[in-house]
Order: sequence, then structure tokens, then C-alpha cells
Amino acid sequence: MNAFHLDPAMKVVVQGATGRMGSRHARLMKDYGTQVVAGTAGVSGRREDIGIPLFDDCAQAVQATGATASITLVPPMDVLGAVTQALDAGIRLIVSPSEGMPVRDALVAVAKVREHGAHWVGPSTPGIAIPGRMKLGFIPDVSLLPGSLGVMSKSGTLSYEVCHRLARRGIGQSAWVGVGGDAAKGMRFAELLPFFHDDADTRAVLVLGEIGGDEEEELAQAMARSCFTKPVFVLLAGASAPEGVTMGHAGAMVHGGTGSMATKTRALRDVGAEVFTSIQALVDGVVASDV
Amino acid sequence: MKDGPTVLLLEHDAKELAQGRGIPVPEGRFVAIDRSGPIELVGSGPWVVKAQVPVGGRGKAGGVGFAATPADVADFVTGHAGDVIKGRSVSGFRVEERIDFIHEIYLALMVDASARAVRLMLATAGGVDIEEHADQVRYALAAPDALSLGAAACSLVDGEPAELHDILLEAFEALAGMFLALDATLLEVNPLFVTADGRWIAGDMKLIVDDNALPRQPAVEAVLRARADAYREPLFKLDHDFDYVCIDPRGQVGLLTTGAGLSMMLIDEMLQAERRPFNFCDVRTGQLRGSPERLVQVLRQFTLGRELAVVLVNVFAGITDLDEFARLLLEALDAVPALKVPVVARLIGNNFEAARARIEASGRPIEVEHDLDRALQRAIERAGVAV
Repeated sequence: MNAFHLDPAMKVVVQGATGRMGSRHARLMKDYGTQVVAGTAGVSGRREDIGIPLFDDCAQAVQATGATASITLVPPMDVLGAVTQALDAGIRLIVSPSEGMPVRDALVAVAKVREHGAHWVGPSTPGIAIPGRMKLGFIPDVSLLPGSLGVMSKSGTLSYEVCHRLARRGIGQSAWVGVGGDAAKGMRFAELLPFFHDDADTRAVLVLGEIGGDEEEELAQAMARSCFTKPVFVLLAGASAPEGVTMGHAGAMVHGGTGSMATKTRALRDVGAEVFTSIQALVDGVVASDV
Repeated sequence: MKDGPTVLLLEHDAKELAQGRGIPVPEGRFVAIDRSGPIELVGSGPWVVKAQVPVGGRGKAGGVGFAATPADVADFVTGHAGDVIKGRSVSGFRVEERIDFIHEIYLALMVDASARAVRLMLATAGGVDIEEHADQVRYALAAPDALSLGAAACSLVDGEPAELHDILLEAFEALAGMFLALDATLLEVNPLFVTADGRWIAGDMKLIVDDNALPRQPAVEAVLRARADAYREPLFKLDHDFDYVCIDPRGQVGLLTTGAGLSMMLIDEMLQAERRPFNFCDVRTGQLRGSPERLVQVLRQFTLGRELAVVLVNVFAGITDLDEFARLLLEALDAVPALKVPVVARLIGNNFEAARARIEASGRPIEVEHDLDRALQRAIERAGVAV
């Protein structure tokens, strides 16, 4: 598999570009500077003019435009089909914002993505961005500012809030990847570490984690293994989540001792990360660190 | 246990679904909490009486009893009808025939989110103490399809005594079929009984299904709807397409918020300030589609909170038009006149000034804030005394 990387000039197909949401976001991404070169029709099959060439399927779009990335703006039950179509068309990076994708579908999608040696971000992701250059997804412009912080986040809204406050204090982002809040997902925190390690624009990493799962613990292990030396700032949400209760995000749940706040905090502090439990404390900590 | 999207079914409901698929379970009946008249029993005893509550570790909490006579059954049911186990009220009881066995086996299939595969687990020394003997549980990983699950099951069963091979393979095949067909994220049978005449029976069953898959699982949906009291939260999500969880019925602050991560963070910070949040929710403002319906649903829940003193609204509108949201919020408040507490609305993003003007013109007791920390502080002040 090729290492994950982000090319601001990559050509993008919007899968499901004709619906109310699809056409709107296709335009917003294009306006931000993303090379949106093609769209495929969504479930509605409507073909109104949205200012980008429309194709029947991904294969035709790739053949005509040379696109290498796609974003799947389709209903949750249709994500697996869209990911499969994109992989078969030769797409190398797929972003899936849909919330509510069945877990079994996500596992099947991951297996297919591995088979093709491609990369899949999502589901339930607000998207990815290189501030000032491109974005794939919904990340609000008001939170995006070119800078030196590499952002990885399970939560969309929490990352908007944190990055907005940091941006007001003059601290922007080198790259931003929302991995999404689902338990079974395409891209996990630890898999982004080599990218942020190698990326010269990234001087520090901001991790917005949540209770549940073991992604944060896995990230800590990967930091130790790869001797990751850039500063890492972490905010963890869900300290007060009742045991066994899912709070919206599929992954945000505690089962009998693993994935707790304590295990995550300890694992990350052990490898030198700074871990915070309130937004303002994190923002002040990052500002004070002079990254 | 790993996490996943979850609806933990009551054991009785899981066993009914299993039985419908030809999986052997002890014959049993459901006894409602508010039953009147005699308890319907299967066979002539002895029986096992099991409190139905959607949490693990029920047996150790005293929720399971053995009964030799119908009077014993009635005593247990009467004695435990009001029980709360790990914070959840008992929904009823399953009374089933007690099984004579020669082996107790632990067998499970679960979604392993880290490995991004299905994990099959097997221990031929099963029972309630399995967690203390975790080192005896062997496992294999598989893709979520029958072929791959079958191959993984074979590799696990190979390591067991020859006389158990056929039974274990048959059990794995049947249970893997159920796991896939119902979009389960966990199917755990512990113990799985093996009888002297060479049959297997699922003695206890823990089934967690993927709530994201409910739209394509009509049989599971029917089970949830038949016992709506026990499955309020998954049904709420299924019917309204957003998440709402009551955290503390005595909560002081009602949260009308969007985004799971930020909503969780607000709850954390509120508790750090010693105020009690009433609920968690993620209304997903991007999907309101011009209707106040979702907001009305949440505000109605707030009227149940006797100590609720303030509503905190938080919308970070990257895409959403705040003026449109403000209009829907005012409509929703009009639709729930029983809710009389003040509102602190933190709004940021598109069309903020128009939203503020609209809210101020309404004359309602709504404070509009731009800064989240200030809004949180105002809500904390409004919530009054500390916990």
C-alpha cells in the first residue's frame, strides 16, 4: 500500500453530486479551491447543471478526467456500493462523510480498500483539508487557517470549535483529517502518524479523541514505536459518559474497563503527549507552547 | 469487550430471534412485571428464572434464580420485580426449563473494531467466571462473510477434543449465520450446554445488534417495537433519526446541541463546574430541512425534567443558516408551551446577526451568546446551586 498523503492538486470526483446536499457541497468545495473535476448522479438521478461535468458512474468520470480521489455524498446504506465503485474505477483516496453506515458494510469496505491498496477516510467524517488549498467534506471555512498544526479528530463539531478558537489566537493547521466517530472505520489515528511525521509543514499534532475504542491507546503505541518527536496535544471528550451508553457516536462507549478516559490518558501521557479535559485548557496549552 | 453501535437485546428477545432461526434454546416464557394470574410454565420443572435487563453480569448481581416448584418461581419473580441492576430496571423475567449438561462451553462472535474484522471466540470451559479465565479463550479473526467465518471456526475447533468437533462446528455455523443475518456486533453464548445425548443448547445469550442497520432489519425492529419500554433510546433514534439520551432525570441543564463530540465535551465541562446536565443529544442541524420537528421532540423531553432550570442551545453553523435555525427554534418553543425555563443560545456562523435580531424581536427569555465559554457560564449560573 502507498503511504497516505494529501496532494492539494488532486482531482476529485463527487459521488452523488446531484442531490440537494451533493450539489451544494460540490460547489462549496470547488469554491474553496478543491480540484472538483467530475460528479456522478446521486439516488435522485437528476442531472441539473451544477457547474461540473456529470457522468453515469465513477469509471467514466475517472477515464474522462484522471481523478484520483472521491467523496461519497450518498445515503448511509449506499456507502459500501459507492466505495466499491470508486475502488473499481481506480480511485486511490475516498472520503465518506455519511453518518449511520452499518458496521458490517464498513468491515467489507475496509477489506476491499486494503485489497486495492487505497485509502478510505470515514464514515461519519467531516472530511479532510489542507487549509487555504483544498477541502473534501464539510469542515467550515471559519475554522480553517493555514498553519503548522496537524489535526486528527474523531468528532466534527469538537474540531470546528477547537480549531476556530485556535485560529482566533493565530494558530492554524497544516492538514486536517477527520477520522470519524464510528468504531469500524477506514483510517485510524495511528495510521496518520507517518504522514504527520513526514510532513514538513506540520510542527505539532492536535488529537481530538473520545472515550471508547482503543484508537488513542493504539496511537500512543505507534508514537512510541516510531519515536515520534513532534509535540502532541490531546483533548478527550466523554469523561462523564455513563458506562454502556452510546452517546451518538458509535465508538463513544465504554465496556468494562477498556477504552476508558484513564487508560487513554495514561497511555498518551506515558509517551509525552499533553492531555487536556477542557477546550479552553487545551487552547491555552497550545498557545503557550509556541508551536 | 470492544465497542460498537449498540442495541443490547434482552436475553428473552435474543432467544426468540434465535429460536426463529432454528437455534436450540431452553424452552421458556416471558413473565411481565405487571402480570396478573398464575405464571405460565414450560414442563414440570426444575426451572431457571432470569431477570430481563439489558446489562451484563446479571447473574452475579442476583438476577438469576433456580426454582424446583411453581411456588419458588412465583417467589423469585415477586421478590425481584422492582430490582434495578447496574442502573437499569428489570423489564420482566424469562422462566425456562433447567438443562442437564455434561459440558459448558463459551462461544462468541463479535466485531473487532481495531482489527476491523469479526472475532470468533471459543473456550471449552465456559460459565459465568469466563472473564477470570480469559487466557483460556482462543480466538480467530475472519471477514464478515459465511465462508471466512466457517474457515475461522474450523481452525478454532481443530484444537478441541475430537468428540466435540461436530457439535462445535454445527453451533458455530448456526450462530455465525444469525450474526450475519441480523447485523449483530456481538453474539455471545455462555454457557453453551452440551447434553449427554450429544445435543447443544444455547443456555444464555447476549445479542447486540448494529443500530445503524435497523432500517434493513425488519425482524429486529419488530422485536424492539413489541417491547418499546425496554428499548426507548434505539426506537427514538430509529423514529427521529438523531440521538437523544437522558443522562440524569434530576438534571438542571437541558442541552439542545448538535455534534456528538462537542455535546459530550459540554457535558464534561458542565460536570466539572458541578452542574447536572439533563441529557445528551445530537440534533444534526444540517438535517432539519426546514422543519422544527426535531427541536420540538427534544424540548418535549425537557418538560419531563422537574429540576430543569435552563436550556443551553449550541449550534456551530459551518453550513447551516443561523437565521433559519432561529426561526425553527422559535417555532419549536411555541409548540412546547409547557417548557417555561430561560434559554441560553450560543450561535456562531452564517447569518448570526439576522438570527440574533429575530430572537430579540420575539421578546422571549432567550440570551444569545457568540462565545461558547460565556454561554456555558450563563447556563451554569442559571442552573443555580451546585450539586
